[in-house]
Amino acid sequence: MSTEPSAERGPWSLALRRFLRNRLAVAFLGLFVLIVVFVLAAPLWADHVAETGPNKEHTVEQITVDGEQKDVVTPEGKPIGPQWFGAGGKFFLGADSRLGRDEMVRLMYGGRTSLQIGITAALIATILAVVLALLAGYFRGWVDGLIARTLDTIWSLPVFLIGLSLGIALAVGGLKVGPFELSSGSIWNPIIVISIFTVPYIARPIRGQVLALSEKEFVEAAVAQGASPLRVMFGEILPNLASTIIVFFTLMIANSMLFEAGLSFLGAGVQPPNSSWGTMITVGVELLKIQPLLAILPGLMIMLTVLALNIVGDGLRDALDPRGKARMDAALEFESQGGTTAAQQGAVV
Amino acid sequence: MKKLGAVIAVLVLAAVASIGLTSCGGGDDETSGGGEQGGVLNGTYASFPDYLDPALSYTAEGWTAMADVYTPLLTYKHANGEEGSEVIPGLAKELPKISNGGKTYTLFLRPGLKYSDGTPVKASDFPFAVERMIKLNSGGSPFYIAAIEGAEKFAETKQGPIPGIETNDKTGEIVINLEKPRGTFTNELGLMFVAPLPQDTPVEDLSANPPPGTGPYMITKSQPGKGWEYERNPYWAKANGKAMPDLPEGVIDSAKMTVIRNPETQVDDIEQGTYEWMQNPPPASRYAEVKEKYEGTQFRVEPTISTYYFWMNMNRPPFDDVKVRQAVNYAVDAKALERIYAGQIAATQQILPPGMPGYEKFELYPYDLEKAKEMIKEANPSDMDITVWTDTESPNNEAGEYFNEVLKEIGFNTTLKQINADNYFTVIGNQSTPDLDAGWSDWFQDYPHPNDFFQPLLSGESILPTNNGNFAELDDPAVNKKITELGEVQLGPEQEEAYKELDKEIMEMAPWAPYGTRTLSTFVSDAIDLESVIFNPTFGHYLSSFEFK
Repeated sequence: MSTEPSAERGPWSLALRRFLRNRLAVAFLGLFVLIVVFVLAAPLWADHVAETGPNKEHTVEQITVDGEQKDVVTPEGKPIGPQWFGAGGKFFLGADSRLGRDEMVRLMYGGRTSLQIGITAALIATILAVVLALLAGYFRGWVDGLIARTLDTIWSLPVFLIGLSLGIALAVGGLKVGPFELSSGSIWNPIIVISIFTVPYIARPIRGQVLALSEKEFVEAAVAQGASPLRVMFGEILPNLASTIIVFFTLMIANSMLFEAGLSFLGAGVQPPNSSWGTMITVGVELLKIQPLLAILPGLMIMLTVLALNIVGDGLRDALDPRGKARMDAALEFESQGGTTAAQQGAVV
Repeated sequence: MKKLGAVIAVLVLAAVASIGLTSCGGGDDETSGGGEQGGVLNGTYASFPDYLDPALSYTAEGWTAMADVYTPLLTYKHANGEEGSEVIPGLAKELPKISNGGKTYTLFLRPGLKYSDGTPVKASDFPFAVERMIKLNSGGSPFYIAAIEGAEKFAETKQGPIPGIETNDKTGEIVINLEKPRGTFTNELGLMFVAPLPQDTPVEDLSANPPPGTGPYMITKSQPGKGWEYERNPYWAKANGKAMPDLPEGVIDSAKMTVIRNPETQVDDIEQGTYEWMQNPPPASRYAEVKEKYEGTQFRVEPTISTYYFWMNMNRPPFDDVKVRQAVNYAVDAKALERIYAGQIAATQQILPPGMPGYEKFELYPYDLEKAKEMIKEANPSDMDITVWTDTESPNNEAGEYFNEVLKEIGFNTTLKQINADNYFTVIGNQSTPDLDAGWSDWFQDYPHPNDFFQPLLSGESILPTNNGNFAELDDPAVNKKITELGEVQLGPEQEEAYKELDKEIMEMAPWAPYGTRTLSTFVSDAIDLESVIFNPTFGHYLSSFEFK
């Protein structure tokens, strides 16, 4: 029996070992898990600690803080600041606005919304992108031309401006196409907008990989054995794209969350009274001078989540494609010594 | 009127711009000490007025910007508060003589008047201004189209003259014949829409190059979106000031207005003395701080004649049931809304606001959430799904969110729709917009006459397919009849009493859940004498009232 670990372990197991050796990536994966746990615990905190819902208003109410009665919102419209555990966990981070909603509860529920949008939009965009890339890369010819030019067109659009316009249109009027209907306040509106505009960012590089893979011997062998195009694309090529797809998916969650935050900040994403971290920044900005935490906290949560996902994504890429990392390191070293990389030469050409 | 939206828009617009200008360009000698003549006033607006053309502007910003530039035949007393609601002669010698059963108005132009370019003012300039306004499809034209004989046909054909207006340039006589008696017409002659203009004024929007006027100041430069400047009208001292001694000549020499879209920056600039005045109130987030620090010295709260309310569409379930509408009135807590508006709103529960003739305080629906829930249970509405509309401007958006939660609290399933403030009234005023169930709105007076709160907002005649103003779609024959009849007679104690009754009668039907009347403010730098600044309920701050200490 061989004791050689590499002979026993499969590529996924090796990748896992490589990923676990990357302490930074593991640490940020831990941070991301903590964030997920934090937002999943929203109903527990809301029901048992804060005893209020995310949209429940307490404008004219008072709370007892260390035996003293305090207005949740003063008659001059100033929301109460963080009370930590002074009021038994109620208004832990203060009130969110002149409506007197619990900031902590909204931060947790808002995080659920932001993550839900980020993950769903990234998933839809990735699935669409992979299908399009497989079709374009495998069939080539006019199919490739049509798909590639469509992706180029989307890529060339001022994404945020169009996303914003589309987001506002959907937010106001909803969407009705045949039996398919979305109400104006649906969370699916920003998801659709984000998915559409992020497809090219995944589809283009994957298409390149499909082009390369479709010339490999195992693909030619499958074709020679009479495998259908569907079987070749999804049975032979797709498994070889898995590592790339996983990395892109992770990074696209982060991108989608940023996109959502931007859309919501501008009023085209999540619709009130529901919260997301983006909408919470919008509300907080107005009170920046008197309650700066209201804008800073959701911003910090977005930053930490995006940072964590990016570092985990990089870690996954290094773990799943170590030769790619080696190539990149070599290129960077060569560049630092004054050389010109092939990619740069290509760019110049 | 839709200027109300703009008044509020002023509160919240975000973004930044600031042009540093010295505060007293006129020099120390001219500006310092004891309210001496002279000085350059540097003011800021949070947005450029809708128009700088008297025929077109229909916003508080526009009217404030032009109040001392264009003088109508009649105008409003240059005074604060209720005193400022008094109609006084402007270019006309005296108030109109009303004859023919309230259908004929006769006025005489004051002699010797000149525009700021030196052109003599003629009686025939008045019908020219009316025709120009109608040709430009001004938002103010409905007042005059409905009133003046032959104006409706003119509006269709755009071919003049309007037969209902006769003038004599030699004697300065202006005779206006109305289709039917109209008790509000004196007030309507005091609006800037029909301020006389030279007859060679182009029939186009002149916001970038405002036409000559007859007031103490003239606009010498306008950069739409950025700002505009004033100088003294050279013909005020030579002619108009002598002809209209009852109107103030103004103290400052000139003024420069700059658009600064971030109200936070505006407040900082006033505090630092970079600018001397901001037209809009401080933002809600700074309001308490500014009020506490500067009230009485640089800051003053200004009451407005306005009503903020939630409307309920009486033609759609569940609001076709009066019990449901009354329940909603019980559930709305005006105290909560006072906090949402950071103290810039005073709680009321009726249509007519304080300061309006005919106002008498009553409170039909004291806050009682439990009673509201009980009433909903009793009414047992068949449709529990409601769409709630509001605009995106703070704090109106928060008021809409509050209303949405109130409806949820009493058992309804709600969907909140927030529409950009620029389009909000167009969207909810269009009857083809689906799900117009309930929502937020406000109304600032066009002129100090109670009919202005009933005819456009609560009369069946005002329910229109587009540009609808009667969002509750109240169409009660008895109410319509009263509104029409009251609108045809001049306002007197008897009519005021009738408006008082009408207010209560309509609130018993509860088409609205009114919650407050808005206060605005005057905020100036320490270089300005706060006492001298006049805030008129119709035109806002008069430029002619600013005075350096």
